[in-house]
Amino acid sequence: MAARLLLRTCPLRVLQLRGGTAARPLQRAMASAGGIPTDEEQATGLERRTLQALKQGKDPYSILKPKQYTGTKADPHIVPSIGNKRLVGCLCEEDNTAIVWFWLHEGEPQRCPECGSHYKLVHHELPH
Amino acid sequence: MAHQAHAYHMVDPSPWPLTGAVSALLMTSGLAIWMHFHSTTLMSLGLVLLLLTMYQWWRDIIREGTFQGHHTPPVQKGLRYGMILFITSEVFFFLGFFWAFYHSSLAPTPELGGCWPPTGITTLNPFEVPLLNTAVLLASGVTVTWAHHSIMEGQRKQALQSLALTILLGFYFTALQAMEYYEAPFTIADGVYGSTFFVATGFHGLHVIIGSTFLTVCLLRQMLHHFTSEHHFGFEAAAWYWHFVDVVWLFLYISIYWWGS
Repeated sequence: MAARLLLRTCPLRVLQLRGGTAARPLQRAMASAGGIPTDEEQATGLERRTLQALKQGKDPYSILKPKQYTGTKADPHIVPSIGNKRLVGCLCEEDNTAIVWFWLHEGEPQRCPECGSHYKLVHHELPH
Repeated sequence: MAHQAHAYHMVDPSPWPLTGAVSALLMTSGLAIWMHFHSTTLMSLGLVLLLLTMYQWWRDIIREGTFQGHHTPPVQKGLRYGMILFITSEVFFFLGFFWAFYHSSLAPTPELGGCWPPTGITTLNPFEVPLLNTAVLLASGVTVTWAHHSIMEGQRKQALQSLALTILLGFYFTALQAMEYYEAPFTIADGVYGSTFFVATGFHGLHVIIGSTFLTVCLLRQMLHHFTSEHHFGFEAAAWYWHFVDVVWLFLYISIYWWGS
């Protein structure tokens, strides 16, 4: 509000001359001081949504490596899903060449038929 | 609006890969027609179609990335891999011509006089225009790095100035090299010396022109506020390409102009 008052009393030209800048009425006020926008100012669409979510510590588009869990009953692998079931591939031990595939359903945690690790389905909304 | 749970870009159907393939067909067959029947129509048609394909395809990529926000961090990472792989393939392309040069120059045949440079060839003095060209390209490497830092620091005016200076240096190199080509005391037809010299430096010159064009597109995009201080991969790709062109010239200068003289 103070800014509007200032602009009304001092013509724009005077301000510019004082500031030493050339008349550039189209320059966006929100561009950073040097004139190149930041992602915060200009990113759009899916890029903007991913960046904003990551800033808040969220990862709705699964960009980061999934969190590691021990897989015990007390600390099961949390499997996010937009439906009520999701395919899980368990690599029971490091360097195993055979992956154990099974459907994980919502509700009680299930165990891998081979190694017994616990998996729990957690429902997530489709990000939009 | 597409609802997806991943950060990747599922591109919309596009005609440009097809027009690109058709242009490749027309240019290659057109080349054969030109060689046998003295008509350049088919080849020229292919060239026009190629230019249209490039313009429209890359325009669409800019629309998808800058205006629609499809270039999320994972997508950008893929583009980086792509550019690195492409430049690597170009390195191998030039490697072939260096192989040809060293094959002929390390063990010069009796037909050449058993020496390199071959008998009768007056080479260019490496400490005249070629040395200036080296300085020009090295300076342009400095200015393009200056431009990159300007963008990252959000300094619009400096970014535009340093990028413009880089392009001007590129044009200066091209002009100097064109003059050298015109004034050279030997031609491409002068035995294996002429062949290796003009094919290697000629392809390099073509890449300088391509790199200058890429940088000019970046200059236009920067003027139109496309780049942000964090996301400006198009510019980074152009800068990588430009450094590659510079490094190829250094190898050319050391091998052909200096050692080969």
